[in-house]
Amino acid sequence: MCGSFFALLKKDFRLMVSSKFFLLAIGSLILYTCYINFVYVKLDQEIFPVYLYDPEQTQDNVPDSLIPVSSLKELQNACEDGYSIGIDLSDGTAKIMMTSCGISKIDNLRHSYAVSKLSSGSAKEALIIGTNTKDMKSRREITAEFLFFELSAVGFLGLAAMLFKEKQMGVIRVHAILPVGKSAFTLSKLILILFADLFFSAILTLCNLGAAASMAVLPAVLLQAGILSLIMASFGFFCAITLPDFKQFSLLYLVLAVFITTPVFLAGQTGIVMDWIKFHPMYHLFTAMKNAYFQTPTTNVLYYAICLLSIVLLFLLARHGLNSEMKREG
Amino acid sequence: MNWTGLKLQFKAIRHDKLCILTFLLPIIVGLAINLLGDMDFSSAAEPSFGIVKDDLSEETIAWLYENGTVAVYKDTEALRAAIIDPSTQTVGVMSDGTEIQVFRSGDEMQMYAVIADVLPQLYTQRNAATEYRQVLIPSESGNDFLKTLLVVITMVTAMFMGCTFNAMNILSEKEDGIVYINEILPMSRTQYIKQKIAIGFLGGILSTIITAFVCIRLSAIQILPTILLISLSAFIASLTGLLIARFAGGLMVGIAYIKIVMIMFLAPPIFFYLIIPSGSILYTISYVLPSSATFYGLMGILEGNADLGTEIAALIIHSILWLSLYVITTKHIYNQA
Repeated sequence: MCGSFFALLKKDFRLMVSSKFFLLAIGSLILYTCYINFVYVKLDQEIFPVYLYDPEQTQDNVPDSLIPVSSLKELQNACEDGYSIGIDLSDGTAKIMMTSCGISKIDNLRHSYAVSKLSSGSAKEALIIGTNTKDMKSRREITAEFLFFELSAVGFLGLAAMLFKEKQMGVIRVHAILPVGKSAFTLSKLILILFADLFFSAILTLCNLGAAASMAVLPAVLLQAGILSLIMASFGFFCAITLPDFKQFSLLYLVLAVFITTPVFLAGQTGIVMDWIKFHPMYHLFTAMKNAYFQTPTTNVLYYAICLLSIVLLFLLARHGLNSEMKREG
Repeated sequence: MNWTGLKLQFKAIRHDKLCILTFLLPIIVGLAINLLGDMDFSSAAEPSFGIVKDDLSEETIAWLYENGTVAVYKDTEALRAAIIDPSTQTVGVMSDGTEIQVFRSGDEMQMYAVIADVLPQLYTQRNAATEYRQVLIPSESGNDFLKTLLVVITMVTAMFMGCTFNAMNILSEKEDGIVYINEILPMSRTQYIKQKIAIGFLGGILSTIITAFVCIRLSAIQILPTILLISLSAFIASLTGLLIARFAGGLMVGIAYIKIVMIMFLAPPIFFYLIIPSGSILYTISYVLPSSATFYGLMGILEGNADLGTEIAALIIHSILWLSLYVITTKHIYNQA
């Protein structure tokens, strides 16, 4: 039994290698890492630039953050973008000039901010109570997101690709008469995908968080990665065995990727409150992954119980799908 | 143009329910966004202040409301958790005698960090600030920025459906061996490209235009540029599908390429649009991605512009470049045959 299971594992591993599964994983890894290190961590939202038009030099000590302009026309042009603010001191009294950004509260804030630039009052700075810097926060955040996106795709697609290939080759028909358990057929694929996913998660984390921070988060991250991988892979198995061809499957994937994961990202990323998001199963998986990266692992027992239950349920569904497929194939 | 071939293609997809569904999906999402219409998304862009119950005076709270959204927490512990929460940019405000004390987590974007740092000063000067004369130029754009963004993302996705459809269509022919049969059929390369592009292209355009009419109120003068923008983008998307199919060996590799292209198409324009001021060099460079031109164009239309000259010119250049890339990369195959 054990020997035949290893033979199955070996066969599935070869199948993964031949479908360029690992090559693609390395490709995605490089792409993500480059994007995170060269683009994402550098993104920032600058404070509103303040332009000053002061032909008579009425201000004694102009703060460095004010950008001087030499004509009223230039000032007006600078303020057109709905973000910058202009201060016009040309006729003795200060005038704040700006194009509305469409949100009155932000306009108020921009006005007050520009006024504060004119006075010399020293500000009592805000107290910093968090432990992350902007750089580290961006890294944790985006790595969690990419990992979530990648894992929900890899298990789902990778398994389906293998299965469709086997369907074509008639392997499923052959399996029906072999003395190998039907669970073993499913299990060997799930285990391979699980290990590939765990390995991918570890490398992605190491590349983007650095060694020290990675060591602190990896146990929690790997736990969540394992849960996500098993759920998506068994779900992928079930969908692949029920749908007739890979084309349909890939369109289903597109629907899944765009319209199911997007709301999750919006909720997780922008902090927009959407009440119904609580009923979105992927949202909880995403939150757990994010929490793991921010070192506040989810401890809700109910969450883990539901995860375990869904893995078992999906596995049984996948097995049932396989059984009926074998029956159909005779 | 060989109409029989096209007719056969249409016949093939008529039975493909999931395929039709994919093209319908953006329209359904468009309708859903429209129904959400009254939802106020603007609060997501405003700075958010967290306060503790029964701590600040009525007047201070009213002042905070004028400058952003205010969330009330039951104790300092809850406030602390909200400030540290990485998905929000909440700034904590507590009373400190006649002044206020501000707390932030230290991982904010520069804008929120600066606002938090100057907030006590803004508070002490709140009365002086109102004495300054203000020249506020109203902007044409509405304040439902996030809704606009959702509409545009949906529309760009709708166009992208053409790419997926084409890539999958050709790849499955490749796997079934139909490609080899095609090679000995009396069909020229141009005919092949035309037929293969046609369905993804038409599907993409139709789905996007219907979504556009569902979500946007177009003025008469905008209709032509909008249709031109959508057609060009759908053309490039279906061409990308052909290229993916050309380079991918199998369906699995094809899907992986589609995934990567989809991320590259959707994510950078959104970031560029949000982060880089228009007019900077980086913004011009971002036109290297065809989806950027589409994205900026659609945002412009939603904001009421009718002048899409730059975007359409960029898309025309992209169409020519991508078409020639496809022709060059497929040339040798046909020469062999």
